[in-house]
Amino acid sequence: MGTLSLILKEACHRKVNFAMSLMAVMVTVALFITYLTTAEASKRETTRVTRDIGFNLRIIPRETDMDRFWTDGFSELTMPEETIRKFADYEGVFMSYNHLVAVLQQRFALLGRDVILTGLSPTITAAKQKKQAMGFEIEEGTVHIGFQVAERLKLRKGDSLQLGDRAFSIVRAMVESGTEEDIRVYARLSDVQQVLGMEGRINEIKAIDCLCLTADQDPLKVLRAELDKALPEARVIQMRTIADARAKQRQTAERYFAFMSPLLLVVCAGWVCVLAVLNVRDRRSEIGLLRALGHGSARIAGLFLGRALLIGIVAAVAGYGIGAVLALNVGPEIFKVTAKAIQLEGGLLGWALLVAPAFSAMATFIPAMLAVTLDPATTLRAD
Amino acid sequence: MAETSNKSPIDSDMIRCVGLTKTYPRASGNVRSLRGVDLAVRPGEFITIRGPSGCGKTTLLLMLGGMLHPTSGQVRVSGQEVYALDARRRAQLRAASIGFVFQMFHLLPYLSVLENVILASTEPDATVSRDRSRTLLKQLGLSGREDHKPSELSAGERQRTAIARALVNRPKLVLADEPTGNLDPENAGEVFRYLSEFHHSGGTVLVVSHGSMAESFSDRVIHMREGNIVPDPGSDTPNTEAQGG
Repeated sequence: MGTLSLILKEACHRKVNFAMSLMAVMVTVALFITYLTTAEASKRETTRVTRDIGFNLRIIPRETDMDRFWTDGFSELTMPEETIRKFADYEGVFMSYNHLVAVLQQRFALLGRDVILTGLSPTITAAKQKKQAMGFEIEEGTVHIGFQVAERLKLRKGDSLQLGDRAFSIVRAMVESGTEEDIRVYARLSDVQQVLGMEGRINEIKAIDCLCLTADQDPLKVLRAELDKALPEARVIQMRTIADARAKQRQTAERYFAFMSPLLLVVCAGWVCVLAVLNVRDRRSEIGLLRALGHGSARIAGLFLGRALLIGIVAAVAGYGIGAVLALNVGPEIFKVTAKAIQLEGGLLGWALLVAPAFSAMATFIPAMLAVTLDPATTLRAD
Repeated sequence: MAETSNKSPIDSDMIRCVGLTKTYPRASGNVRSLRGVDLAVRPGEFITIRGPSGCGKTTLLLMLGGMLHPTSGQVRVSGQEVYALDARRRAQLRAASIGFVFQMFHLLPYLSVLENVILASTEPDATVSRDRSRTLLKQLGLSGREDHKPSELSAGERQRTAIARALVNRPKLVLADEPTGNLDPENAGEVFRYLSEFHHSGGTVLVVSHGSMAESFSDRVIHMREGNIVPDPGSDTPNTEAQGG
């Protein structure tokens, strides 16, 4: 009689033990599938949150008068717009910097008061990383206006705003920020260059540092060394508070998952192991009998490890299904910002089919060895 | 013309054990379960081993079946030194040459009657194995019960299933440990009748039994006490030597 046949019949007979073991592995697979499916969404959520904290790196012309820079809030000097492309093309730059946005900002008189007219280019990210752009894209001929500007000029979304000799459509009136953002008018970089008569010029590149630098190095030192090689004509300023907040936000999420994953695995392995030990105890006389009938250690180990593999395979398929349903239904509730981006990954089923049986077999290994080493004379004389 | 053989008397015995001892270490001191048992069994003998509880009957039976290493001494079954074989070959010897019958039947609860018998079969051809199992079950009066689970059988039927399982590989030797311990006299008689049929077809049977019923089927009765084979109450010498089969 085949081992698989014996395993299936035993599973049908001891339904509770089999179902409990199956549930342990299935829950683990489901949680991992949910986690892995939503992990990308979680990362994007974290990125969005940290983006909302703000860019933390400002690259400005090296000769900028820093006293004036801090007084005005921007550099009085400009750089060619190509600088950002040159920077982005520099090999390895995205190991340190990311989400590059070219900015041109100047004070601009608007109906008797100054606003900070700010032009933003589309975000440049590393092509290989396929990262989503973090900055908001501004359509040509449109503006986003700060809270104070909107209040003073009684402007709302859909109104028109005259900047120089061009009329712009207001697509967003921003909420009060309590910072100089409230007196900003954001427009597309090319539009601002035209309004200011500074075609092809920028005075800043905003960026976000790569957090992998923060482990055991001084990030600013590394960033400056990198910039010196890529853009010797520029200097970088790190917004330390924002950088720290970003680091804490992301590291908290990573630490949480780093803690939860092994904990989940250990709990599940323990659960499966205990149930397997109970199964072995329950089958002591059966093991003794099989020995008496001349079945060897491989056959007995095969019965228990084969059972574990079967549990792993069934749990992988069922866990994938449950995890997928959870990810697609609960995920959007948790990750509201990136809800639409949560997608099922078919490749995870393959991984689940490989890892879950192996994991289940490993958790059952010690009980299987207990079964193999069980003294048949002891079990059979229990009569 | 008389048949000649190169086999020594020792090799021609179905079972021969010499100086068998078994000691279990315990915290309170060693427990000596067997104290130097010598025994020879000729092919085709039906032997009953009797003795009080704890005298070492089951220990002896398990040792003869290659299931329990002696502390010292030798066991030969069909001319093979059982404990000189590695575990795999000893398992092969058990599967091919020895059938076991236990007091508690030890049927797998999740297999049908037929499957419990097939489980023991070493026949590689599944159809032959199935046919042989069905035939045995029929001979043992279990026709129509093949697809039942053990829990659906009476105690007597379960033990007959266990006998079919013990006989499925046409063993030379059947070792039965209190095979009627859980049966009423009628079923007990049935069990001994089937074991006796196996014996009359040339098989060797060793039965450990408390009851007196086994003796009426036996060629020889061996009495044990405190780990030794002792003379039966009506004799001066222990009945350890093989007799004509």
